[in-house]
Amino acid sequence: MRIALAGNPNSGKTTMFNALTGSSEKVGNWAGVTVEKKESTVKKLYCKNGETITAVDLPGAYSMSPFTSEESVTRDYIKNETPDVIINIVDATNLSRSLFFTTQLLELGIPMVIALNKADLNKKKDTKIDVALLEKKMGCPVINTVSTSADGFSELITAVIDQIEKDQTPPYTENNVDLSDIEAVKAADRKRFEFVNAVVKEVETRKVYTRERNIHDKIDNVLTNKWVGIPFFALVMFLVFQISQVWVGTPIADLLGELLGLFQEWVGGLLEGANPLLYALLVDGIIGGLIAVMGFLPLVMVMYFLIALLEDCGYMARVAVVLDPIFKKVGLSGKSVIPFVITVGCAVPGVMASRTIKNERERRATAMLAPFMPCGAKIPVISLFAGIFFNNAGWVSTVTYLAGIVLIFLCALLINGITGNSAKKSYFIIEIPEYKKPSFKGAFKSMCGRGWEYIVKAATIILLCNTAVQIMQSFTWSFTVAENANESILATIAGPFAYVLLPVVGILSWQLAAAAITGFIAKENVVGTIAVCYGITKFINMDELVLEGGASDVAAIMGLTQAAALAYLMFNLFSPPCFAAIGAMRAEMKSAKWLWGGIALQLGVGFTVGFAVYQIGTLISAGTLGAGFLPGIIAVAVMAAIITVMCITATKRVKAERAHKKAK
Amino acid sequence: MGIENFIIIAVVAIIVGLASLYVYKAKKSGKKCIGCSSCGSSCTGNCSSCSGCSEKKQVNNKKTDF
Repeated sequence: MRIALAGNPNSGKTTMFNALTGSSEKVGNWAGVTVEKKESTVKKLYCKNGETITAVDLPGAYSMSPFTSEESVTRDYIKNETPDVIINIVDATNLSRSLFFTTQLLELGIPMVIALNKADLNKKKDTKIDVALLEKKMGCPVINTVSTSADGFSELITAVIDQIEKDQTPPYTENNVDLSDIEAVKAADRKRFEFVNAVVKEVETRKVYTRERNIHDKIDNVLTNKWVGIPFFALVMFLVFQISQVWVGTPIADLLGELLGLFQEWVGGLLEGANPLLYALLVDGIIGGLIAVMGFLPLVMVMYFLIALLEDCGYMARVAVVLDPIFKKVGLSGKSVIPFVITVGCAVPGVMASRTIKNERERRATAMLAPFMPCGAKIPVISLFAGIFFNNAGWVSTVTYLAGIVLIFLCALLINGITGNSAKKSYFIIEIPEYKKPSFKGAFKSMCGRGWEYIVKAATIILLCNTAVQIMQSFTWSFTVAENANESILATIAGPFAYVLLPVVGILSWQLAAAAITGFIAKENVVGTIAVCYGITKFINMDELVLEGGASDVAAIMGLTQAAALAYLMFNLFSPPCFAAIGAMRAEMKSAKWLWGGIALQLGVGFTVGFAVYQIGTLISAGTLGAGFLPGIIAVAVMAAIITVMCITATKRVKAERAHKKAK
Repeated sequence: MGIENFIIIAVVAIIVGLASLYVYKAKKSGKKCIGCSSCGSSCTGNCSSCSGCSEKKQVNNKKTDF
């Protein structure tokens, strides 16, 4: 038996799906978190007759006429796959808007049960809904539910089972609407709203009306104010990084690092008499590489916890509103903010979230630019370099995120120039959720879920990469032991790429090139590979997460100055993301040209930013330009020339198109 | 071969084997990204309504390319 969970965005579908099935799909207090359908089996606890029920969580939709591609997923699934029963999740605090979609679903004739969700919020506001009367009006069972506490779920599933194979009569039908005539469709929608409003008037008794100004509006006056909103957002994000990466995350990371270091020492002690190659493979390669990545787990988890709190309280939707006017200036809109915010956690769902954007150019640009926001996987890289070269300074994280935002703006302008779309306007409409006290339990669960995924990644992808790196740097192509690591397989593969990095780091280092390459598999690999190649865990004081001796000793070990270290960090953060995120970009862009254009742009941006940081930094600190300036400036000039030609071509094309239109 | 060497080879083989098996199974079940939360694992490649697959049909859509 298959049941579909359908309803308006932000009505609590995924929260209900997670509670019904025990899944841990991403939830958020804003519209458009779910962009794909998800399937899972309902817990036996709710299936009293032992039947196996598969629940399908669908993206939110306002009507059966899809506006965006994720709404099409919902429409197509319900129409083509015909579930046995639909659970229509209705936001009880916003009945008139929700019932529009309900009446459309009922017209399909599929058995349906209405879950009147967020019933607890109605109680608080003393809003009463006559459930029995609503049942009569809609012609299907209506159950009060609270997704966050699983209230009413047993009754809901019982009602679902009762509804199987029953006839569903629609309370309202629209026949013979000419869908090609927009005025006829609008008139039909107005009639449907009239019907819905008449039903709501009969079943609902409100004490607090939405037109009345309340405390939420007063808070919004401040937080969404065009002068205060952005500085406040910057302050909030600074605090998130400061708390996660300095105040709270680091002390916990110190403790974990100490424990992991003791484990490595213990294993090393047990295997002292082993073959040095095998010893290095297990103790330095596998365990050392894993420790280097796992040591940053607390920082990542604390940040996920704080982001989950911000998402849950309703603030993030306001951020989209605050940033909308600025993003519009560069051809994007507030709708792009949500993918950018989600990318702070992980670039893959962040890129996928761009699906909610209807405008094709804007959607592709958002998918292309989202990876500029440093994701959770880049936190270990940022923290390692901040800890080693900048005495654990909190400003490094903040600067990298601010640089990401600035690059998004600049690259959005570039995309406008290249595509010739600077004159086109974008519209942004978002439903703002009410403020609520964030759920610490929910944020803790989200943090644990993401922390677990981080551990899984470290124990699989990162571990395999570290093992491969250790083997490749121990042997030559003739499979003899490499006397000198510079003759190893890894050195010969990564060596040519070291020339690309010369203008960014000022030295030819195959180790840094290898780390950047493995970073395309997963960004945490940058840390793992550096640890394996340099045996860096021997030099890091895991208690303090700093290199013993400070930056001057690091220069001796890695051959990097502070400017070069910051430049290399920037290169890794702003060059193309991991392969999984590139796959997501491909899926959302649906164009090979845009995909390859995006990858080229990211590579160009990563190189240019790294080059600029290293050369300017070296000029300030040493009074001279860094090594590799000439080839670097030539590469940047070539890239600038290509972009200029593309912009000129696009401008000419747009002008020709306008002239052609005028002539017509 | 000393006992230490045998232990290391066995441990490395088990660790790498288990990690590879996990990655293989995850990829086979359609997981797009291992270790990324909410990255979806539902697309099996044969559901008509899933936009993940319809992407293949629309790959030639170059209406507003560069």
